[in-house]
Amino acid sequence: MIYAEHLKKEFKKVIKEPGLKGSIKALFKPKKEIVTAVDDINFHVSKGEILGFIGPNGAGKSTVIKMLTGILTPTSGECRINGQIPQNNRQKYVKEIGVVFGQRTQLWWDLPLTETYNVLKEIYEVSDENFKKRMAFLNEVLELEGFIKSPVRTLSLGQRMRADIAASLLHSPKVLFLDEPTIGLDVVVKDNIRNAIMEINKEEQTTVILTTHDISDIELLCKRIVMIDKGKNVFDGDLHELKSKYGQIRELHFETTTKDISNVLAYKEHFNFIDDDISVNVDGNLVNVRFNSSVVPVSEMLKYTLQKIDINDISVKDADIEEIVRRLYKQGV
Amino acid sequence: MKTIKRAFRMHRIFVIQELKRMMEYKGDFIVGIIGFLLGQFFNLLFIWIIFSQIPNLVGWTLEQIVFIYGFSLIPKGLDHLLFDNLWGIGHFIVRKGDFDKYLTRPINPLFHVMVEKLQIDALGELIMGIALICIVLPSLVIEWSFIKIVMILIVIPFATLIYTGIKIATAAIAFWTKRSGNITYMFYMVNDFSKYPINIYNNFVKTIITYIIPFAFTAFYPAYYILTGENPLFNIGVTVLIAIVIMSIGIFIWNRGIKAYESAGS
Repeated sequence: MIYAEHLKKEFKKVIKEPGLKGSIKALFKPKKEIVTAVDDINFHVSKGEILGFIGPNGAGKSTVIKMLTGILTPTSGECRINGQIPQNNRQKYVKEIGVVFGQRTQLWWDLPLTETYNVLKEIYEVSDENFKKRMAFLNEVLELEGFIKSPVRTLSLGQRMRADIAASLLHSPKVLFLDEPTIGLDVVVKDNIRNAIMEINKEEQTTVILTTHDISDIELLCKRIVMIDKGKNVFDGDLHELKSKYGQIRELHFETTTKDISNVLAYKEHFNFIDDDISVNVDGNLVNVRFNSSVVPVSEMLKYTLQKIDINDISVKDADIEEIVRRLYKQGV
Repeated sequence: MKTIKRAFRMHRIFVIQELKRMMEYKGDFIVGIIGFLLGQFFNLLFIWIIFSQIPNLVGWTLEQIVFIYGFSLIPKGLDHLLFDNLWGIGHFIVRKGDFDKYLTRPINPLFHVMVEKLQIDALGELIMGIALICIVLPSLVIEWSFIKIVMILIVIPFATLIYTGIKIATAAIAFWTKRSGNITYMFYMVNDFSKYPINIYNNFVKTIITYIIPFAFTAFYPAYYILTGENPLFNIGVTVLIAIVIMSIGIFIWNRGIKAYESAGS
């Protein structure tokens, strides 16, 4: 369905020294530098799949999405969606896709929301009958009724985002690109949006590519993720794989009556942990130990801990995805 | 044929949307209309005072000068009314990455940008142009013929496209430089020369507005043909030719520009 092959995008950037003097200098003698925002990205998405496309800020996610949607022309490499190259026949191609950029809106700011849909209906040449059906469906999954007659400028961010997603789905696209659809939203609206995405994916086999910084989006929606950093592929696989590959981090939670435990428990020295592999947090008599279980197995840690101190309550937790991603973003791979 | 029909339909829809948008803020809309009518009235008065001080200019009578001036406002006003949104490309649409929207919709982005906004102020230019022509028409000796009327109907849209083409070409520079509003402005301002008979200028200005930034073809040459009936091949034919050339250059730069478009971070 979606193929990205050796995608690369370079931007030219004028380097300026700070201050007015630097700006004037750059005006006459511009120093240009080529910045590679996306460098040899490869992935492939099958029909009906929801792909989580993640990476730290500035990793090149939006640039990739913009190449896939035909907004940017790749410097080299190629992407094909449904057999089409976006840049070749853009107008025909965009009829098959829906695009939402969480930070922008395509709604008519000054007019009631319905007016946007009426114009989009014409732009995408949706028939009256399909339009009616579609609006009923979108109304139901995105709960638009409450504000569909209000001018867009009066909508809350959550309403606006739902309205924007509905706008991108009006023409029943085969592929939906969502660039940070849950940015800045509260938990309830996030839930609503996630459910809508899931429902549309299930009902219509819509392929979805989603970028987000909210790991719960990924855990709830995506079976597979592609992670990029500094414009390069870092990870491509399903969530389970990510966990088993990078998820050797475990957490030990316990409540103790022993005082001054940081002196009693010396994990680092005892097991020869290096810095990144262990961290201990003490909060009164609650202790939280995070460690790399590939260095020291959980059983050893437990044995050592129980030997040294008196424990009231203890539990071992799997690392959550968020923790893994945090580690990956921080150190790269 | 189908594309043209669809283009007209889309144009109508965007215009209606734009009118609705303006009427959304009623107070502003009404005050805008009043201000606009007042402005036009004083403009007309002012021009009349100036022109009545010049009984003739290098062989041109007052009425002829007013006619050329009035005619110049029609293509300018039409372009201003219909395609003013092109200014936005050079000022902020590209710089802020808002151009993304046009690229993800199944209509030609240039067409989309051009017809999305309506600049009602431009009605002032049109009304004034027509008013000036109507005022001097009874005292001008013009030979009317069927061919002449056809020529006028042909030349007005093409003269309009000279403006539009220059705006497209200069606005598209923003795809590389991010901002080109001032370039458009610089070119656009040359049009002031075209409101008066060309032979009042020295050769330098004449050459510029005929061959380099050919605004003289938006007003003086067609108006000259209407007044005298002389040389339609040059006065009308070359206008049409120049409009086609300029639009082609504009569209060429535009299409190259879209490939160079860099969007903005988000």
